Amino acid sequence: MKRIVLNRLLGAIVQILAVTILAWLLFFVIARFTGASPARRIAGKLATPAEVAAVARVYGLNLPYWEQYLFFLNHLIHGDFGYSYVQQRPVSTIIWPALRATASLVLGAALIWLSVAALIGTYCGRKLHSIGDVGGRALSIIGMSIPVFWLAPMVAYLFGFEPTQGKLFGFSILPRGTSIFPIGGYVDLGTNPIEWAYHLILPWITLAAGFTAVYIRYFRTLTAEQLTEDYVRTAAAKGASTSRVLTRHVGRNVSPTISVLLGADIATALTGVFFVETVFAIPGLGYVGVSAVENLDYPVITAVVIVTAIVAVIANMLVDLLHAALDPRVRRVAAVSV
Amino acid sequence: MDLQSLEIGRIGGSGTSKPVGLRATALRRLRRDPVAVAAASVLALLVLAAIIGAPIAAYLTGHSPNAQYPLALSNDGLPIGIMQRTFFANGVVHNPHGSLFILGADALGRDELVRVLYGARISLLVASAATCLALIIGVTLGLLAGYLEGPTDAIVNRLTETAMAFPSLLLAVALAVVVGPGLLNIVVIIALFTWFYPARIVRSTAVATKRLTFVTAARSIGARPRRILLVHLLPQVWAPLLVYATSIIGYNILFAAGLAYLGVGVPQPTATWGQMLSTAVTSGMYQIDLSVALVPGLAILLTMLAFNLLGDSIRDALDPKAGRR
Repeated sequence: MKRIVLNRLLGAIVQILAVTILAWLLFFVIARFTGASPARRIAGKLATPAEVAAVARVYGLNLPYWEQYLFFLNHLIHGDFGYSYVQQRPVSTIIWPALRATASLVLGAALIWLSVAALIGTYCGRKLHSIGDVGGRALSIIGMSIPVFWLAPMVAYLFGFEPTQGKLFGFSILPRGTSIFPIGGYVDLGTNPIEWAYHLILPWITLAAGFTAVYIRYFRTLTAEQLTEDYVRTAAAKGASTSRVLTRHVGRNVSPTISVLLGADIATALTGVFFVETVFAIPGLGYVGVSAVENLDYPVITAVVIVTAIVAVIANMLVDLLHAALDPRVRRVAAVSV
Repeated sequence: MDLQSLEIGRIGGSGTSKPVGLRATALRRLRRDPVAVAAASVLALLVLAAIIGAPIAAYLTGHSPNAQYPLALSNDGLPIGIMQRTFFANGVVHNPHGSLFILGADALGRDELVRVLYGARISLLVASAATCLALIIGVTLGLLAGYLEGPTDAIVNRLTETAMAFPSLLLAVALAVVVGPGLLNIVVIIALFTWFYPARIVRSTAVATKRLTFVTAARSIGARPRRILLVHLLPQVWAPLLVYATSIIGYNILFAAGLAYLGVGVPQPTATWGQMLSTAVTSGMYQIDLSVALVPGLAILLTMLAFNLLGDSIRDALDPKAGRR
């Protein structure tokens, strides 16, 4: 197990380094040929050449490229992402609160999609080709086809905005004056946990919808596959209840595969965050990223790319370790091959 | 592979003793599958609507896709809704031939129906071109990696693993910001962020196939690596690739729409589904007139649904075990 952890950690560090190089190349080398020089962007339009030169010295922008990269990396390790061109403040003061908001959104959504999909998917897997199964599959294929950037405004329109809440084409489809859900905004978990959850309900559901659809299929196929195995018959024969067979026997064999899939999908969910956050006005990484793209605020875009990638890499790593912990075969193979 | 297809032929029960290949069996199954037929018809109609329907709609309504009709905005500057005719400034309905806006107008007074049809052209074109490019890159690298193994395989594997771990849309947006928007740029960017899936599929198939006897036989009679790759290995990967391609075209429509939504898609005023949806949402116009978001959204939804259902059916039809159940 120790070897797996070390191996995986090393791989993660290499991946993160690859991303920093890529992001740095994108924004500090290519951007230099296409747009204004970073030093000029930081100093502002009215700066004198002497001021621009001074800024370039402070941020190491007058050094050779490889030294600039090391300079950039050194600052990165110390949690310094540079200085926002547009907001005129350190990027790290923008990024960290945003990361908290995004983490609440993604983790909450993941919890929802896993539990809902586990319930529906397992049911479908147990009763293949029943009416419930056909319904579950139809639901899942429709869910897979709905783009999140369309679902988000639709959900917001129906449930989240003041004049349109509960209305469709001008007709009230919910009782008049319903305001079950809050109108936009975001409350930090530390400030008020209840308000936090209340404000995140709609975004959670929106982000989780597409993933629920995909995971229903995963759970359905995996459960159906496991139920044909001999160990299930044995367990049932020795008198284990259905719920015990499903949780202790089938669930135990389904969970390693689901955990691997989850790692990749956390990375995908970080993409969906862009659309959900902009529509529901959650000040997370996606929201910050989109406004940075609109303003060509390169240091912020770089920081968002790097932080998201690091989160994705860490999520993948944790999930791989979880997989090794859940599945003894992975540990054995790794022990033999290393 | 050939053993399996023989068996399918026998079980498929074509009535003759001649073995039927996987391709023929799959096609026959697809023709009998109502869902597959419906999905394929919807897609065919969609392509027809994009190619022929768009100019016909423009001709019949008399509205060109990018022209703005100030009269399609009512007194308070709001666009007119579904099946409404243009207004005069005093609110009187203006009614010469071709003033009807079947799906309403957008915030700039452009005809939604004509735009959604012309948008289908760009969206489908971008998605299929990007899929083709991704398949070309992926199949080449996957075949080489699977056949050569060693360092080539290791490099391709590292590349795919690293690329798959990252939130692709984010890097794609970042790249698009730097290289600038444009039809070709978008196609290349989407392909750059999707090639690794086919590469992995092809690699694993190539690794599994190259150890089979018929490849060894080909090598023993002196076939060169290039011939083995193109004549013996390539035909073995078409089945998984076909399943992949159908699901990925739909996904690429989403990808392109997502890029447009984040402001880095095909530039204005060209109509694309993603750009129509994004203007409707980011301007907040959909809160006043829902149809501006509903029309392009439903177009994307319908296309995705058709591609997903067709992909599922093709997967089932190609499943060698399916005939036994």
